[in-house]
Amino acid sequence: MTLAIEVAGKTDVGCVRANNEDNFGYDARYGIFVVCDGMGGQAAGEVASKIAVDVLLRYFREKAISSASDPKQAAEPATAASLAVALQEANRAIFEAAKDQMGRMGMGSTVVAALVRGHSLTIGHVGDSRIYLVRQEQIQQLTQDHSLVMEQVRLGYITREQAEHSELQNVILRALGTEAEVEPEVEDLVAMPGDTLLMTSDGLTRHVHDDEILATVTTADSLQQACSALVDTAKLRGGDDNITCLLLRIVEQPWYKNFLSKLFPGGGEWQNSI
Amino acid sequence: MAKLYLKFDQSVLKEITLSQASTTIGRLPDNGVQIDNLAVSGHHARITWEKDHYEIEDLGSLNGTYINNERVGKAKLRHCDVVKIGKHEIEFKGDGPAPVAAIQAKTGPSIPKLENTVLLDTRQAQEMHAAKSSAPMATAMAAAATPAKERIGMLSVVEGKTDSDKYILTSKMTMIGKSAMATIRLKGWFAPTSAALISRRENRYFIAPEHKVRVKINGEQVQGQRELAAGDLIEVGKMKAAFSFQD
Repeated sequence: MTLAIEVAGKTDVGCVRANNEDNFGYDARYGIFVVCDGMGGQAAGEVASKIAVDVLLRYFREKAISSASDPKQAAEPATAASLAVALQEANRAIFEAAKDQMGRMGMGSTVVAALVRGHSLTIGHVGDSRIYLVRQEQIQQLTQDHSLVMEQVRLGYITREQAEHSELQNVILRALGTEAEVEPEVEDLVAMPGDTLLMTSDGLTRHVHDDEILATVTTADSLQQACSALVDTAKLRGGDDNITCLLLRIVEQPWYKNFLSKLFPGGGEWQNSI
Repeated sequence: MAKLYLKFDQSVLKEITLSQASTTIGRLPDNGVQIDNLAVSGHHARITWEKDHYEIEDLGSLNGTYINNERVGKAKLRHCDVVKIGKHEIEFKGDGPAPVAAIQAKTGPSIPKLENTVLLDTRQAQEMHAAKSSAPMATAMAAAATPAKERIGMLSVVEGKTDSDKYILTSKMTMIGKSAMATIRLKGWFAPTSAALISRRENRYFIAPEHKVRVKINGEQVQGQRELAAGDLIEVGKMKAAFSFQD
């Protein structure tokens, strides 16, 4: 048995905003999955989130190609360190783009990224987008928001409940592209078959609770349906920000299917930024 | 900005610019639009800005409020509508942009916040924390300075072949199996590549067996993810290990 990844993603402008500054993309062939939530006026947020998704996908595609031609590198596993390098590259790309053009000063983006290869799961994030893990009917938030309110919760100044009603929820402490250097938070974890990962922007998590996410993900007929149900719930409750959900599930796959997919590649294995 | 033209007998008496979120019309002097006539009630009607348009509401007047000769309780105002109050007419011209004051008044706390994400740098964040932790917060802050004690779990192998006989569970996820990725490395021909995962969340530990792998705790087979308690005896294949917390 080998492990394969099923994936479904959806992004929605929401009910209030005029444009969608969220973005997502993935390439299951290289096991890279990304969700970004851009910020900055005059459409700059969209530009920033798109750059971040593009740079991350490109980084792991090129890395895979260069390691294929150089067998010495091929053995190198995907680690937190390589994801951190990729996130730094995305940071620099946005920062440079912001310098080049008027009206894009201060543009930036949050990011959540996951690298999945077999049992190896590496996650990284900057800002207040989140990754949740649903494993055997339990949900766990894998990332800690880089936001003012969550920092206050960690320091014990306010409770989680107070944080959910705070007026300062929109204040984040780290973002890609706003400074020349960024400190991404990366972690090596372990995945197992049956695991479902949800990567999402705060447009969802402001409106939909952990236990509701768990219920939706475990009862939906498909990942695509779960994505739609989550987005719809957030919209019903106001949808005052853009909403993005990317769901991936680790599944066991008999060896011949793996063999066939190598012989006949294609299908919905990757999606670039929008 | 929208304007009102107060008319009597075809001639314009007054021109009023709507700069407030709400403007009242009535006979008394405290109204935004005063019509000194006995056919007009003290507070006769009110014009308010609603999200993206103006509305007029009759405030229970004696003689009623009419729009284009139809009596209304509450109605949306359209460009060039004629509001009739008593014998006076008010023409509404509202094709310009919304009044700034009106928008500000309406996007108060009751309306969902539309503010964009804001980034604070570290120094600014520290200042915010300092402000937040003023007088009554001082004690809470002192308490926070000593964060909740970390409890680290460990496994002591009692039986079976593994690469070590004691494992300190510091990482968020620990794999038990034959795989090269496994921290708790099982040996032997028939050991499963990946047998179970132990995850750590806020000082608590949970074990999740792989599909079709039998994991027992205190002799009882585990179904789905289960929390570990100090003293639990875990059996995976031929390995037996005791779970405990480090002192």
